[in-house]
Amino acid sequence: MANTKVAIIAANGTLFDAYKVFNIATAAAASDAEVGIFFTFEGLNLIHKEAHKQLPLPKGKEHFAEGFSKANVPSIEKLVGIAQELGVKLIACQMTMDVMNLAKDAFVDGIEVGGAATFIDYAKDANISLSF
Amino acid sequence: MSADKVLDATGLSCPMPIVRTKKAMDELKTGEILEVHATDKGAKSDLAAWAKSGGHELLKELEKDSVLKFWIKKG
Repeated sequence: MANTKVAIIAANGTLFDAYKVFNIATAAAASDAEVGIFFTFEGLNLIHKEAHKQLPLPKGKEHFAEGFSKANVPSIEKLVGIAQELGVKLIACQMTMDVMNLAKDAFVDGIEVGGAATFIDYAKDANISLSF
Repeated sequence: MSADKVLDATGLSCPMPIVRTKKAMDELKTGEILEVHATDKGAKSDLAAWAKSGGHELLKELEKDSVLKFWIKKG
């Protein structure tokens, strides 16, 4: 997977969305792929300092909480740390931050901030493009 | 089969067995063998795919008492 580039858009903010994004991202990075994630709209919750520690289950799916603890899945906080350790690039959408009145320091350390063109430039030669 | 390093990834769910295997493999030299233990059933196909994509060789795998064991030679 070296020389493989993965571009991911994270546009939703529930716990399910977070696992979809970070499991794929860390698995790809652990396989030596270059990985970048663009967080936009509700997706910003996934890297928000406070919000990413207590993401909600989707409405009507609250009963899966028990399954998550039984399956011993790592916390999103831990997965974000692993992603960063593996060199995954985290890009927060500037426009959404402006709309939601959020500054860069509201997010986990080490993120980049950029616009749509930043993501397009990153993704233009990606081998795998995903949207969650 | 003898191994240069043994990784216990039992009890961990996806994607942790792969993440831990990558980290353990980074500490080995080309040609050395990593033995991985996992209980995540997805690891069976995941570790085979991971080894293939990284240019490593999956030498052997077996299941004993619900624990999956893999021997991977670093490529």
